[in-house]
Amino acid sequence: MEIYLPVAEMSVHWMVIIGLGVTVGFVSGMFGIGGGFLLTPLLVFYGIPSTVAVGTTLSHVTAASVSGALAQWRRRAIDFAMAGVMLVGGLMGTAFGVWLFAIMRRQGQMDLIVSVTYVLLLGSVGTIMLRESLSSLRAARSGETPRVRTVNRVWMAGLPFKMRFRQSRLYISVLPPMGIGFTIGMLGAIMGIGGGFIMIPAMIYLLRMPTNVVVGTSMTQIMTITAITTLLQATNNYAVDIVLGGLLIIGGVIGAQLGVRVAGKLRGEQLRLLLAIVVLTVCAGLLWGLVARPADVYSLSMGMP
Amino acid sequence: MRRLTLILLLIVAAPARAEDLVSGISQDVIQITSNYTGTSIVVFGAIERPLGSDGRDIVVVVRGPGTDMTVRRRDHIAGVWVNADAAKLVGMPAYYYMASTKPLDEIAPAADLTRYGIGVEHLTPQQIASHHDPKPFQEAALRHLEREGLYTEAPGSIDFLSESLFRTRVPVPAGVARGQYNVEVYLFRGGQVVSAQSTPLFIDQTGLERRLFNFAHNSPLIYGLAAVAMSILLGWISSVLFRRPA
Repeated sequence: MEIYLPVAEMSVHWMVIIGLGVTVGFVSGMFGIGGGFLLTPLLVFYGIPSTVAVGTTLSHVTAASVSGALAQWRRRAIDFAMAGVMLVGGLMGTAFGVWLFAIMRRQGQMDLIVSVTYVLLLGSVGTIMLRESLSSLRAARSGETPRVRTVNRVWMAGLPFKMRFRQSRLYISVLPPMGIGFTIGMLGAIMGIGGGFIMIPAMIYLLRMPTNVVVGTSMTQIMTITAITTLLQATNNYAVDIVLGGLLIIGGVIGAQLGVRVAGKLRGEQLRLLLAIVVLTVCAGLLWGLVARPADVYSLSMGMP
Repeated sequence: MRRLTLILLLIVAAPARAEDLVSGISQDVIQITSNYTGTSIVVFGAIERPLGSDGRDIVVVVRGPGTDMTVRRRDHIAGVWVNADAAKLVGMPAYYYMASTKPLDEIAPAADLTRYGIGVEHLTPQQIASHHDPKPFQEAALRHLEREGLYTEAPGSIDFLSESLFRTRVPVPAGVARGQYNVEVYLFRGGQVVSAQSTPLFIDQTGLERRLFNFAHNSPLIYGLAAVAMSILLGWISSVLFRRPA
């Protein structure tokens, strides 16, 4: 049965949308991420206008991270101080991102910048995860305990505004977490992603937070940021389609449960290897779109550019 | 505007020439509901003096509401395809359908077709904003619109049920813009428009879709809050439903 989306102003098949939700939910449940980086390109590929895809994906990520954050909260696995500090940076980043979004749209370079950012981001995160998971797998097979690589933290020790993060057992400057929050807030506004797949590695490798609080903390931060960004997208760009969002969330909830079950049967490094492959596949697809000769070098957009 | 004046003049002048064209459409309002997947309307009519010495040809044109279109050209720069040049076409119909009794070039000279805006290649935007030659941009726009089924020409698709009664079916695909459309029927004799009629057709959302669209555009803040509330509620429900022992 076809369903008419009131804001996107187009008809879609509800099975396709629920299916997309299940797929993305599966990935997000499996890896503990929001899955926005998959959903936005998939929606655009299906023909949803890119502004609506970005805005509506944010509402989907909000729901996914509310669900995840509540589960983590019951386990007391959230560092609220850290989430708060990152949120301050995140709000500034979001405001900056929304401003940048408007400028790029006026220049007609929106799609290019979004694609290039995606390729760089997914390419680098994917490669790091691939190398890390492969070396862990190799180490596990040869029976050694995997050596955790430490990032040089000397530069961080010299920064001012130190603060104690009890839950993470850290005493560090607030600037690096704010910087991470800023970057991810900005990317979220532009790309319609929560940023979990960047934030989790950044928290582990840069801030050296204990792994057990990383997922809960990042979800709390993402939940707040995406809720605010959804609101901004709805008021500034009329870009949130409530019917599309609802269908995606329902599919996503089902997919996430399946994903969590499957994830329980796999080891951490195997999961990271799979995620690396998913990320690199999306990256390769976007890269191909940038360098391949388009079928028609002319493109047409109706209404306001 | 000039076209409209011409049509009005013709309608007023028609009785004087004793050249009566009567036409109608099967429905003058199309409502987009939740299961709307496109529909079609029937345009029908009658001409009073069926066969004159100089033949008769009917052209039906359905024009969507005027809109602005931006055409961008990508160039290969540093290994990447980048939007390099653009042109803006102001006041193009969002939808265009033309049906006729035979190919247009056999009906009337190009200059007349351009004057009435009959035929995709004879459509001109009210205004073009471009830094360079707009011609390739305009052609690219028409190419895209024809490919997406928004601009269609169907020569020879008007059926005559009798000497004087004619009928044609006009598709209204799922992705069309909302707004006021105009259904224009032209009667040609000997390469001249001798009579014309224009009937408005409204396409609009209805029911829940209409209310949601209005809600999103009229009170975006409350709509946004509702969207966020929905996300939080569904997220919370799912975490309760699938609660597992930690």
